[in-house]
Amino acid sequence: MKFLSFLRDKLISICIYVFVYVVVILLFFAFKVDVSLMIAFSFLYILSNIIVLMFEYYSRKRFYDELVYNVKVLDKAYLVLETLREPSFYEGKIVYNSMYEINKSMNENVKELSRQINDFKDYIEMWIHEVKIPLASCILKVHNNKDKFSDDMMLQLKRVDDYLEQVLYYVRSENASKDYLIGKVRLDKCINNVLVRNKDYLLEAGISLNVEDLETTVYTDSKWLEFIVNQIINNSIKYKKERNSFIKIYLKKFEDVVTLIIEDNGVGIADSDLPRVFDKSFTGSNGRDNVKSTGMGLFIVKSLCDKLGHKIDISSKLGEYTRVEITLSKNKYYDEVR
Amino acid sequence: MKILVVEDDKSVRDEMVELLNNASYEVRLIEDFNDTLGQILSINPDLVLLDINIPFMNGEMLLEKLRKVSNVPVIMVTSRNTLSDEVLSMGYGADDYVTKPYNPTLLLLRINSVLRRMSNVNETIKYKDAIVNIKKGTISLDSREIILTKNEMIILGYLLGHKGMIVTRDELMTDLWDNNEYINDNALTVNISRLRSKLEELGLRDVIETRKGQGYILL
Repeated sequence: MKFLSFLRDKLISICIYVFVYVVVILLFFAFKVDVSLMIAFSFLYILSNIIVLMFEYYSRKRFYDELVYNVKVLDKAYLVLETLREPSFYEGKIVYNSMYEINKSMNENVKELSRQINDFKDYIEMWIHEVKIPLASCILKVHNNKDKFSDDMMLQLKRVDDYLEQVLYYVRSENASKDYLIGKVRLDKCINNVLVRNKDYLLEAGISLNVEDLETTVYTDSKWLEFIVNQIINNSIKYKKERNSFIKIYLKKFEDVVTLIIEDNGVGIADSDLPRVFDKSFTGSNGRDNVKSTGMGLFIVKSLCDKLGHKIDISSKLGEYTRVEITLSKNKYYDEVR
Repeated sequence: MKILVVEDDKSVRDEMVELLNNASYEVRLIEDFNDTLGQILSINPDLVLLDINIPFMNGEMLLEKLRKVSNVPVIMVTSRNTLSDEVLSMGYGADDYVTKPYNPTLLLLRINSVLRRMSNVNETIKYKDAIVNIKKGTISLDSREIILTKNEMIILGYLLGHKGMIVTRDELMTDLWDNNEYINDNALTVNISRLRSKLEELGLRDVIETRKGQGYILL
């Protein structure tokens, strides 16, 4: 709170003080009052007015300065009311009480909204599990009646399943609750599950796999890691080059951590796009030019990795390769200590 | 082999029956879930495919009760794929766990391997006059012994497990991939013809027949 601004605000009061003073002095002259009385009056009048102004200024300054400062430094500015004492002056009380009421109604509103969002998420999650039952039925039907359905049917059903998974994990990655359980996981089993799941897709795309010995245990949630790897493999399939495409999967082992590397010789990612691949809804030139892309896959992958405490990096050269590196911990206590 | 399907969704159940019938298993069903446990015990199957979401009692509780009275192999099936489900199911004594929607071929493989684990198949299998040693990866007849590659062994092992039945290329491929051998269509053809010529060397001529458009059959 600046003193000059405060004075400008009080301009009318000050004008009235000055006007009254001038009128009184003129009256004193008219009634030929003694000069010493005039001086005494002037002194008292001016002093008392200054004291009143100063008192008003400081009592407000304390409250408003605290308010402005706390709003600025608090990372959740809406909690500012909790940090303030109720002011002693009347208009401050009005502001304080109004803020209290506003806060209360906003809290109720926010609570209602977050309840709605959570209900919706619960519903979506339930719905996905529901819809997987008819999907399972369809997959079995296609498998049992191979002569009636084209091979593509199974791939399309798998795509539906992949998109469903994406929504499921998006809901989970945004949820505050811990939906995962970190445990000892055989990395090779995890990768094998993903590759077998994508077998038809990979064979159809004519991608050869070069999988080195991945036998090791890491601390992660197997389902989440499978989802993550599935997304990356799917990207490699989506953005493959016309011929001689391969995916190479190998490990780099360190003392406490293991880095899982999934590398392809696909179309790659432009340098300008690379820093933004994990951004929500970012599709980049690949997504725009070639295949339909929601820009959600890697965003979800990144947030799942963050939750699990895995480091994920993507390096690429346009037209040559894309390399995804996921660093997982081998040691149970590593994450906790960190 | 008698497999019991405990699944409350009728269309999934019907398709599952067809899938298992086609794989020449004898299939039993439960349609009334009032006394699931009692029915399982009276049917006395060789393996149970148990859905987690069944009416009246959830699959995990049922499994826990079942385990107190029976050691029948159980594969849990679920559409909820959270780790806790898996941990719980395995904790209650499930032998394996698959999530919906599953790859049907893979489901058959899992059933196969659970059943095989139960029956403690020997390391060696006799086929005609030859002896196949799966662990060593060899096949021998009289005094001659031929070493098979890992891929050839997986293919032969699968064919031996389905002797006299048509085995599709997809089944062979799934089994290979499940065993970390990520080969493509051409490589499968090459592996099969190499396996044939190795068998021929032992005097087992034309034992793997090609059924056009269907797959292979080991005579």
